[in-house]
Amino acid sequence: MLITGIKSRPLYDRLTPFPEGRFHVVAGQGGGGQAMLRLLSELDLSADQTRVLYSHESFSGKNYAAQLRELGIANLGEFGSNAALVDHLNDVLASCTMGTRLYLSGSESFIGTAMQVAARFGLNADEVLREDNGTFVRRVWCVHCDTYTENVTKRVFNCPGCQLDLVVRDHYSGRLAAFMGVKADAEQTGVMPPAEDLDT
Amino acid sequence: MNSHSGTIDVIVSDIESITPLIKVFTLQRSDGRPLPGFSGGSHVLVLIPSRGKIFRNPYSLMSSPFDTSSYQIGVRRAEQGRGGSIAMHDEVQVGTRLKITQPVNNFPLNKLALKHIFIAGGVGITPVIAQAKDLQVGQIPYEIHYTALSPDHGAMQHYLDAGPLVKTTLYFNSINRLINFRQILAQQPLGSHVYICGPASMIVDVIAVARELGWSESHIHWEEFTEQHSGAAFDVRLSRSNLTVNVPPELSLLEALEGSGVEVPYLCRGGACGHCETTVLELDGELIHNDIWLSEHQKSSKQKIMPCVSRANCTRLVLDL
Repeated sequence: MLITGIKSRPLYDRLTPFPEGRFHVVAGQGGGGQAMLRLLSELDLSADQTRVLYSHESFSGKNYAAQLRELGIANLGEFGSNAALVDHLNDVLASCTMGTRLYLSGSESFIGTAMQVAARFGLNADEVLREDNGTFVRRVWCVHCDTYTENVTKRVFNCPGCQLDLVVRDHYSGRLAAFMGVKADAEQTGVMPPAEDLDT
Repeated sequence: MNSHSGTIDVIVSDIESITPLIKVFTLQRSDGRPLPGFSGGSHVLVLIPSRGKIFRNPYSLMSSPFDTSSYQIGVRRAEQGRGGSIAMHDEVQVGTRLKITQPVNNFPLNKLALKHIFIAGGVGITPVIAQAKDLQVGQIPYEIHYTALSPDHGAMQHYLDAGPLVKTTLYFNSINRLINFRQILAQQPLGSHVYICGPASMIVDVIAVARELGWSESHIHWEEFTEQHSGAAFDVRLSRSNLTVNVPPELSLLEALEGSGVEVPYLCRGGACGHCETTVLELDGELIHNDIWLSEHQKSSKQKIMPCVSRANCTRLVLDL
């Protein structure tokens, strides 16, 4: 699943506590809740040094909100969409100081867009851990009309922004948090690449 | 001779006593052309001839990176040193011709930082002066915390510019205005980077405080500002060159090797960059490690040495050179 040979795709981690961290921000969505629960069981939650953010949006339909609530964490933030969570993550990090660690868990699209926020705050690789939840549906950026499409599973798909048939290239941009989609028959008009399933 | 290759001929155009111990030397190219460009945090080696020997002391460039018509270096007189800085203070005059190496930066600014925090002790302010010139034309806020023995000794502050981006704080032991590393580093926003330049003890203390506050390693940067360590003379055997070299008290191992025509790759000559790391093949005695490059484990294993700053107290030392 992870061994796709796509060099630009991030290598994901397993969430474990950074022992030297002084404040921990744990954010995830959908099936990523499982890794959050595992991580939170290893963090000292009594010291009020943990902020937890969870989005109910899920491609797989999994929801761990009930189990997270059972932990009795102060200020558990719940969100209806990943975008709302990522927006709020921006506010949380703005009030954080050096010594903070960030943990992300969920789909590649969620992790990627949350990483865009982390990068804006200058968080480096030794301050962030990312664990994927196993569903590698792709977020795709159309190079022609600048539209982002979530949850792409097929090699060829129709861009909702410009209605061109796009081929999803195996080229991930960390900056855009998306794979690149280009006109499918750009090389030779009318010759389409095979409409295979992506490595989801 | 390799020890002189790639050097730049300069002439001392100005000398100013800034503090009781620090003189600032202005260097221009002998042929009048501009000097190489550099970035804040860079240093050069000055080849200082004195009593038949040549010291190669590293000095940070403290002049503006935007002006390559001259370089300025701040030289602290080290009475306990090997004599390089004393020769600079006592023998070098306006008009003296010297050789320097090309600038190298082992202490660069992090280009992605959202805030820079400098902690400098004594003559350790010199690289920060040039780094601040780089930052003055940018948009990233920065703080300079500069500590010295007394206001007299802290007179290098006059080289620091004021501006909307910078907050400068001075600390002087003599009037009990003491620096508090914890206060400086606590509550800094995400994306901050700290740069430490000064005595080894200060660097160790600041790093310890930063780590305790949870700063990750990628945000902590330092440059040690030490005079060359002198010590007892010793002999070193070079297995590949089939040579035995004597290292006298006033030369570093690296300088003694260079004097014998042995080429050892180097950059910082301050035990920080790792370029001159050399394998020890045989040792009967102790290595005196003065670097901050090798780990404690590597140091105790006695299999590596940094010849730019480290020495040996031994009856036999064989290096893989």
